[in-house]
Amino acid sequence: MAKPLVMGIGLGIITLLVLGFIVGAIGQKFIESRTPISALSLDAPEIHLPAQAVYPADKREEAMQGHNLGFMGFAITNTMMSSFATTLVLILVLVLGARRKRLIPGRFQCFVELIVESLFNFVEGVSGKEMARRFFPVIATIFLFVMFNAWMGLLPFYPAWGFDPQAPDGGVYWASSQELDVKAASYDSHGIIHQEAVPIDGHDTHMSKVDLFRPAGTDINMPLALAIVAFVFVEFWGFKVLGIGYLSKFIRVRNLFRGPKYLFTALIDLFVGILETLSELIRVVSFTFRLFGNMLAGEILILVSAFLIPFIFSVPFYGLELLVGFIQAMIFAGLTVTFAAVAIAHHEE
Amino acid sequence: MADLGLNIPSLVVFLVNFTILLAILYLFAFKPILKLLDQRSERIRESLEAADSARQAATASEAKTQEQLNEARLEGQRLLEQARQIAEKFREDEMTKTRNEAEAFIERARQGIEQEKSEAIEEVKTHFAGLAIYAAERVIERSLDRESHKDLIGKVLSQESNVDKES
Repeated sequence: MAKPLVMGIGLGIITLLVLGFIVGAIGQKFIESRTPISALSLDAPEIHLPAQAVYPADKREEAMQGHNLGFMGFAITNTMMSSFATTLVLILVLVLGARRKRLIPGRFQCFVELIVESLFNFVEGVSGKEMARRFFPVIATIFLFVMFNAWMGLLPFYPAWGFDPQAPDGGVYWASSQELDVKAASYDSHGIIHQEAVPIDGHDTHMSKVDLFRPAGTDINMPLALAIVAFVFVEFWGFKVLGIGYLSKFIRVRNLFRGPKYLFTALIDLFVGILETLSELIRVVSFTFRLFGNMLAGEILILVSAFLIPFIFSVPFYGLELLVGFIQAMIFAGLTVTFAAVAIAHHEE
Repeated sequence: MADLGLNIPSLVVFLVNFTILLAILYLFAFKPILKLLDQRSERIRESLEAADSARQAATASEAKTQEQLNEARLEGQRLLEQARQIAEKFREDEMTKTRNEAEAFIERARQGIEQEKSEAIEEVKTHFAGLAIYAAERVIERSLDRESHKDLIGKVLSQESNVDKES
């Protein structure tokens, strides 16, 4: 029967939970003594709001010392790296899926068509048949980009590959045993699990690791870029469909010329126009911070849960983050297409 | 804002990245896939229509066949009925004819018999009258008025035969 199997799996899960509890931050606080399995514990996660520079090397050095790029500094950041990775994966999957245009599709083609068709139906459902063709590419790209960014951020190599200032060979680590050795060595000299400053080459400052990849949604520039794209396209479609008349939504002066009787209405109209304009602009901000906040919170949640109790405890949070990634992509794309549909609607005459 | 990580070059990089992704996906993925989906739905629609019209044609031809079959059956029944009527008529005609002939034959036979009979009776009467007269002549030995006797005897005989008939 399958009973022994189920029991075995259950036993394995419990063992991993217990082990995770012991080697995790919570357990280590209680035990307070070094055991060989302490080497399995993770470093306390460091949360950086700004993305860290990865290339070139001197910028990376600065990032390790905790310097941000600032407003204008340019470097390839780890969020850009993951954004490029996502772009590459998306292009590979979709373009390969579209390459063999068979009327009777194979499995892979079916899968890609399923993605495209469900997205198209979604856009069509909100915006109607006519406009769906126009909106679809932008909306679908936003959706896929947001979702794949979030999902790929859950892959294990995201927090595992990077540059460690304490590693012997200039700081590259690839989640190897070498990293664990380094940690064990530092335990010998310090005796506690730690994120304390380790003096290297006479520097007395705290040096932080720089991950090679970090989910792009956790960098405010990526949600902002998407929000700007959404804004630009919504306004573009508004003008394209309604022509210059689209502006009458924001500049409402018609009642101003209808005589003194309508003065009050005219004033209200002017105010409504200002509100419309503001809401259009504020949308960019709300778009940005919604995605940024959700992605960053998910990232922190996973890092912290894996730090406190490693191994199995964070698995439910991974599931949660899968859902959040999908939902945020849905919200971003859905709101964009909704705003677009509102923008092209003929408003009151 | 810089603490949040706002960085103009990053923003530009992300914008460019997204634009490139959008362009590539549009040109090499969305456009061909949507076109293919359209083609497929068009194809399916056509196939369904073709199947529909084929089914209609089949139904129509079936109905036509059925109709022809019905017609043929009716025609057959009509022919059969006609044949039966003809046969019936022929039979009746023949029977009537035969009956008539038989009746005529019987009638003729009866007439013949009747005639023979009356001839025979006549003859017997004649002979009998002559014989009676002869016998009477012999009895009374004298010649009687032959003719008046003959009448007398004829009367008697016819009375006799009437009595016979009544009894």
